[in-house]
Amino acid sequence: MPKLTIDGIEIEVEPGTSVLQACERLGIEIPRFCFHDRLSVPANCRMCLVELERSPKPIASCANPATDGMVIHTDSELTKKARKGVMEFLLINHPLDCPICDQGGECDLQDQAVAYGLDHSRYQENKRAVKEKYLGPLIKTFMTRCIHCTRCIRFANEIAGVEELGATGRGEHMEIGTYIESAITSELSGNLIDVCPVGALTSKPYAFAARPWELKRTDSIDVMDAVGSSIRIDSRGGEVMRVLPRLHEDVNEEWISDKTRFACDGLKRQRLDRPYVRKDGRLQPATWPEAFAAVADRLSGLKGEEIAAIAGDLADAEGLMALKDLMASLGSPNLDCRQDGAKIGEGPRSGYIFNTGIAGIESADAILLVGTNPRWEAPMVNARIRKRWLLGGQIGALKVGVVGPDVDLTYRKEHLGAGPRTLESIAQGKNAFADVLKAAEHPMVIVGMGALTRSDGAAVLAMARSISETYGAVKEGWNGFNVLHTAAGRVGALDLGFMPGEGGRDLPGILDGAQSGAVKLVWLYGADEFDVSQLGPDADNGAFVVYQGHHGDRAAHRADVILPGAAYTEKNATYVNTEGRVQRARMAVFPPGDAREDWRIIRAFSETIGRKLPYDSLTQVRNRLAEVNPVFGTLDRLPEEGLGDFGEAGKVGSAGFVSPVDNFYMTDPISRASITMAKCMDEIVGRASAAAE
Amino acid sequence: MAFIDRTARSLLLTELLSGMALTFKAMFKPKVTLNYPYEKGPLSPRFRGEHALRRYPNGEERCIACKLCEAICPAQAITIEAEPREDGSRRTTRYDIDMTKCIYCGFCQEACPVDAIVEGPNFEFATETREELYYNKQKLLENGDRWEAQLAANIAADAPYR
Amino acid sequence: MDFWSVYAWPTILIVLSILAIVVPIILSVAYLTLAERKIMGAMQLRQGPMVVGPFGLLQPIADGVKLMAKETIVPSGANRVVFIVAPMLTFFLALVAWAVIPFDDGWVLADINVGILYLFAISSLGVYGIVMAGWASNSRYAFLGGLRSAAQMVSYEVSIGFIIITVLLCVGSLNLSDIVRAQEDLWFFIPLFPMFVIFFVSTVAETNRLPFDLPEGESELAGGFMVEYSAMTYALFFLGEYANMILMSGMTTVLFLGGWLPPFDFAPFTWIPGVVWFALKVAACLFVFIWIRATFPRYRYDQLMRLGWKVFLPLSLLWIVVTAGALIAFDWLPE
Repeated sequence: MPKLTIDGIEIEVEPGTSVLQACERLGIEIPRFCFHDRLSVPANCRMCLVELERSPKPIASCANPATDGMVIHTDSELTKKARKGVMEFLLINHPLDCPICDQGGECDLQDQAVAYGLDHSRYQENKRAVKEKYLGPLIKTFMTRCIHCTRCIRFANEIAGVEELGATGRGEHMEIGTYIESAITSELSGNLIDVCPVGALTSKPYAFAARPWELKRTDSIDVMDAVGSSIRIDSRGGEVMRVLPRLHEDVNEEWISDKTRFACDGLKRQRLDRPYVRKDGRLQPATWPEAFAAVADRLSGLKGEEIAAIAGDLADAEGLMALKDLMASLGSPNLDCRQDGAKIGEGPRSGYIFNTGIAGIESADAILLVGTNPRWEAPMVNARIRKRWLLGGQIGALKVGVVGPDVDLTYRKEHLGAGPRTLESIAQGKNAFADVLKAAEHPMVIVGMGALTRSDGAAVLAMARSISETYGAVKEGWNGFNVLHTAAGRVGALDLGFMPGEGGRDLPGILDGAQSGAVKLVWLYGADEFDVSQLGPDADNGAFVVYQGHHGDRAAHRADVILPGAAYTEKNATYVNTEGRVQRARMAVFPPGDAREDWRIIRAFSETIGRKLPYDSLTQVRNRLAEVNPVFGTLDRLPEEGLGDFGEAGKVGSAGFVSPVDNFYMTDPISRASITMAKCMDEIVGRASAAAE
Repeated sequence: MAFIDRTARSLLLTELLSGMALTFKAMFKPKVTLNYPYEKGPLSPRFRGEHALRRYPNGEERCIACKLCEAICPAQAITIEAEPREDGSRRTTRYDIDMTKCIYCGFCQEACPVDAIVEGPNFEFATETREELYYNKQKLLENGDRWEAQLAANIAADAPYR
Repeated sequence: MDFWSVYAWPTILIVLSILAIVVPIILSVAYLTLAERKIMGAMQLRQGPMVVGPFGLLQPIADGVKLMAKETIVPSGANRVVFIVAPMLTFFLALVAWAVIPFDDGWVLADINVGILYLFAISSLGVYGIVMAGWASNSRYAFLGGLRSAAQMVSYEVSIGFIIITVLLCVGSLNLSDIVRAQEDLWFFIPLFPMFVIFFVSTVAETNRLPFDLPEGESELAGGFMVEYSAMTYALFFLGEYANMILMSGMTTVLFLGGWLPPFDFAPFTWIPGVVWFALKVAACLFVFIWIRATFPRYRYDQLMRLGWKVFLPLSLLWIVVTAGALIAFDWLPE
């Protein structure tokens, strides 16, 4: 344990800690540009120079490991002079265009120039000008501002795993770029904007839209995938301006996917901002009482079995609770939250969650991916697997086997086969990867929705469980069985038991019932991801459809009554991520127009039909949640459960697994309404598929 | 003695009379009145009157939507919205000043890095309705065009002291 | 033709003579406002009104038109009747007192023998208009203004009363024309100089003029009893206040400055008609009113009361005794 002295304070640090990190441990701020906690250390910006006693010149603190007996001065004249000098060099070619730079106000260079730089420039010469680069529809470049810290290159190569960025030329002629003009094909490319310490890489959709000091910050949770990344919603007035990641070491570290970051413009388009009622075959604007009356009218005289409710992927726990209680009071057992028909939810909680936890991936040494493309289904999980894979050399190589679609996951993996037959062979120990799992200390099995939504899903689930159990993935202190969800609201809904009750119909049952006339009213709570046409062509020849949601998406077109709800940025809501971690989204802006928080809509409706739900405040709803499932009494905690009995052994089909996410950029009503996501699809997915053909 | 002096003074109202003598004398002094609408006083080049948005000589508007004036405005009278213009440059789509809120402190022109928003020499812009005092970008640019010669001269006159 | 000679002609004559007094007074009031603004302007190195008409001469007319064109606002909580009556009363009282003022020898509407008592009574009634206005407005400011006005007027009336007694001692008659004639040899302001000063200051207080305008108290009461008044009701107060000023100046002239008498009883002074002398003396008094306003700041309320009760009252009492003593000692008593 090296012991060193920093500004007269002695500190003992772990071996391998850099001087900069040691300073940070003491709360001493060292200015830096190129150094980033999660990236490799190039030591090329020289901003972090500190004085080391008995050294002829200052040292770059980020790259020098702390060694015994070092005496560091971070506040000495030499250090200050060095910083001033470095800053002056950096500013030789950096344009003075802060007023038109989107980074202005949250710019590392700006802040540090104020804190450590000179107050004037001594250079009269012309500044360097660099041609802008094209990096796709998400990232806007001002390469003249670039200070060559190479953070972006390191991020793309190390975290995102797309080796598309690099530097060409040397010295003053050095330029960062993609070598050939092309969009970055990473689902994490938005993080380049955060990583860039200056305004060279900025957000294209957010260009010139707002200044950081105008924005109201709301710490919230993302719902674009089931990971539940921690995000910060920046809003101005009633408008969500942008979404940024928030540090959560156990979930998303400090990254978020492009969908999380850029789909927020979908929140402003195609919104349902007032109730609608279908009259004479057309949806007409209505008031809340009119809409409620229309539903109550239809509801009167219906028996419980004739009513059904389907919950969507973005449904929050509070709304689900209210809807479930409403259905119970109406006597309806017909509930389902599994729009994709996944065969999960029966049995213990460990049968449908990501038991290992995302952070747990870092201790795994063999991973079997079953019917999933984590890169698109859960980019943060994929980034974590890549992180573990990169650590390979240090703590033993990670072996990844894939059963399902053979796609580029940004790390080396072994494609074992396409479908359940391969899985069967692993289960029987006939496949070579069985030995890998057996040999592994911490093996993981990750089952995706692609494997569970099939008709033989229950059998696949059982098979995955038996693999986990037989190959030591479930043992004391380690639970390597994981289900990777794609819907943010799914785990919460399963936790609440939003599933068919005694003798109730599941999704196919409800759809059959709607066509046969056995189900007369279907309440869709943001459910858009199933074939809506199966509800029948209209209310007379099918079910009367009540759509409660925030976007005029697929199901809204078929609806007979539309109840406008709130999107995730507009309500205080509880979501449970794929790990079973209960997290809270917070209201950043108010819902548009007449739209309301979802549980309040259901609570208000329950009163109009004389079946008042017993809660009036958010606290009361949350107490009710905890009553139904104690897990809702916890917050941001990972459950620790052994594996129970679930799944249903049976014959499996031979068709290959298909990932449910065929288009990363459009998976839900919000991202489907987003212009940015549409552009991404054209540029990135479109080009990729064109190349494939 | 002092008592008698004081009493005599107060009984003879000397203080009051000396005061009245002063006002009486003032009656015959030359008057300082300016007959305002016909005569006007001199204005400093730093006078902070009605706002204007200036243009470059080639007609390009100066404002780059940096929003510094909006940020510094202590009365929060300025509202700016911006987006990339067709040529990709940063420009405002909305630049409103609520002149009923404005306190004419001049911070906006101090903050402006491109001398776009300025407070001009015009102080005669009273209106009959409040609505007319909600200036938008077009109105401010028109002001700039109307007063440009004087605005430029004022900035030049003040330049040595900045 | 009895009707004509007994009732009609006298009535018409009375109405005409009333008009002959009232119209010039109202005109004087109008131009007094202009004079005040001009004089105060001059004393403050300004020009005063200059825009309406030559040298602003039409300014009072413009002001009058403006006030008449404006809407009269009666506050919702006010007592409507009293609120409207109050300014009328003030204005009416300011005019009705003129009936006994002699403008020249024999130029008097009602040459009654108790003229000075009548004048004293009417001017004392003036406080009612203000108290009524203060109460009827249902406003704290107005109410305070009314209270102050009542206390102030009562205080100064006492000394005015004693001063009038002093004058009466020297005249031996309550008839105003007799009072003037008694001054043919010597105007009373010379022998009774201290009384003259006290009387003049008291009239300033009586008319609520600066530095005794506490009922209005612009700075602390925002207009005092007039705070809720607007348009014509306000104008009536305004007219009343200025008519009162003129009346008080007239009283000062009659009591101390020898009324219509010329200063020296020989040509060319005797060529000038008495009414002109009267007008000139009134104008001089009014000038002093304005001059005082332009010079002094407002009294504090306790100072105002102290001056009234602890200075003017003992002084005027003392002077009655001194005057009476002197009249008896030197046998100067009028017959």
